[in-house]
Amino acid sequence: MDIPIKPEAALLDKSFASKKEGRDMLALSPTTNVVLTILLGFLCVLTLIPIYVIVIASITSEASLLSNGYQLWPTEFSTLAYTFLFSQGSIVITAYKNTIISTVAGTVLSVFMVGLYAYPLSRPNFKFKTFFTFFAFFTMLFGGGLVSYYMVTRQILQIQNSLWALFLPSAFSPFWVIVMRTFYQTNVPNEIIESARIDGANEWRTLFQIVMPLAIPGLATVALFSAIGIWNNFFNCLLLVDEAKYYSLQFTIYTTLNNIRFLLENADKMAGLVNISELPSQTFRMAMAVVTVGPIIFAYPFFQRYFIRGLTIGAVKG
Amino acid sequence: MVLPGAIWLLLFSYLPMPGVVLAFKTYRLVRPPADAFIQNKFIYSLIKSPWVGLDNFRYLTLPTNIDATLTYIRNTVLYNLLFMVVGLVLSVALAVMIFELTNRFLAKVYHSIFFLPFFISWIVVAYVVYALGSSQGIVNSIIAPMGLAPIEVYKEKAFWPFIFLIANIWKYTGNGSIIYLATITGIDRELYEAAAIDGAGKWKQFVHITLPHLVPVIVLLQILAVGRIFGSDFDMFYTLPNGAALVRDVTQTLDVFVYGMLRSSLPLGYPAAAAFLQSIVGFILILITNAIVRKTKPEMALF
Repeated sequence: MDIPIKPEAALLDKSFASKKEGRDMLALSPTTNVVLTILLGFLCVLTLIPIYVIVIASITSEASLLSNGYQLWPTEFSTLAYTFLFSQGSIVITAYKNTIISTVAGTVLSVFMVGLYAYPLSRPNFKFKTFFTFFAFFTMLFGGGLVSYYMVTRQILQIQNSLWALFLPSAFSPFWVIVMRTFYQTNVPNEIIESARIDGANEWRTLFQIVMPLAIPGLATVALFSAIGIWNNFFNCLLLVDEAKYYSLQFTIYTTLNNIRFLLENADKMAGLVNISELPSQTFRMAMAVVTVGPIIFAYPFFQRYFIRGLTIGAVKG
Repeated sequence: MVLPGAIWLLLFSYLPMPGVVLAFKTYRLVRPPADAFIQNKFIYSLIKSPWVGLDNFRYLTLPTNIDATLTYIRNTVLYNLLFMVVGLVLSVALAVMIFELTNRFLAKVYHSIFFLPFFISWIVVAYVVYALGSSQGIVNSIIAPMGLAPIEVYKEKAFWPFIFLIANIWKYTGNGSIIYLATITGIDRELYEAAAIDGAGKWKQFVHITLPHLVPVIVLLQILAVGRIFGSDFDMFYTLPNGAALVRDVTQTLDVFVYGMLRSSLPLGYPAAAAFLQSIVGFILILITNAIVRKTKPEMALF
């Protein structure tokens, strides 16, 4: 790296560059710090606005919605949408069930497959290391395209119209293989693995009892991202599912949004055919969107302590 | 150990690859005879389907279609370039700002909030766009009392580049900044101390120390991004406009276009031709970019 600094400058008297003084010397001036704190705080508020918007829309009463439209602070609140959502709505419950099952299955599968695939690639003495690294990496550069993928998944693998369609296509990722490989390399010292082998543990036992426990932050990161990826997945369902009983949550809520917008915009053309007031409640739909986000917001703090660490270590040298 | 993953890659990534030849064929479904070696209908039909050269590509450039094709290519490339540049600048800026913040606890809280949108699906964002920008939306209930004309995002093209840009920034900046933040944290503090003693201010420190350390990561991510320049964030471009036909010219990307053709009654070769452009051109661009990087800075090349 070509950094234009005089070499002797880096060899300054240690006492002068002691850690505490160093921090103080490099710290922002109090004014700048205050400005920065306020600026970032303001941006945080902006970031949270969309979440606020759907939450507030979901507790706007239907009457207030019909007379005033959506508002930042509705004239009348109502939790009816949620009551309604949980009292009936078999579509939502089926979709929820499908999404939970596929998220759990997909997450377990991806931690298993990524964790296993990346480990040998991290070991210096694995014979086919280069080949299998390339085998995974190449798929990040080139793909067969959507049409071919569609035909293969439907006509050869035949996973359409099943729960498999919702998670199998997302159950592995070359990107996470590369992150995990780096994570193993930096976090699991070779000496530990060698001493385990000398003590008589075989390859599998070493992996499950020695290596995996040390790699938990990395594996938790993979778990979190694949869980979120499958929970939020819309494309698998759009492409591979035609039967309502296998619809995922995201697909279901998208279809409902699409329907209501179409009906409302064409209300004039359909006068007499559809009575707007008989449409399934709009706040009900917003409540559905909120309920989709809910579990993520709750899971977030639990995983967060792992994934920032997992990501930073795995990604820096990746 | 690599077996489960290798099988998955074989089935979901390598198996579709030969399918790119669909772009040069007229796909016709043929039932394999009982004595045929290949019994799978798709593979058998693919082999038996006649080669038609560039006919499928010609469809995309017919006088009636050329405008649409070019518009969708333009949308895809321009949105990608916009997101690449803006995403890079904002992610680096956010990482530096969070790193410099004196209160470390607050920095963590802020970063968690900025990262949160990454976990929210585009479908939920589509609801937000609806609740804000539809004829009944919040924006209208705010601007109506001011006497301004109501807006309707699903009918007005001019809004969409901004909606996509803001949505993209909102969703990805926090996530994008993580890798830069990690790199900055790894830089030796003594470099900054030395620079500060030599009288370099924060900006000079950023240009001469932080930025050079970030360049390898930036180059790596941009090479990969170049390869995806003909692809797009399908969920975003498909769900945010919610199928609104009036704004299609500024919202449709190649991915969505290919999907639309795939699900229509058009011959399979047409979307395959468009998809072929995406995968092959993307791949070639990655190779070219990588070659250029390798010429100038060999240690930063991807392969």
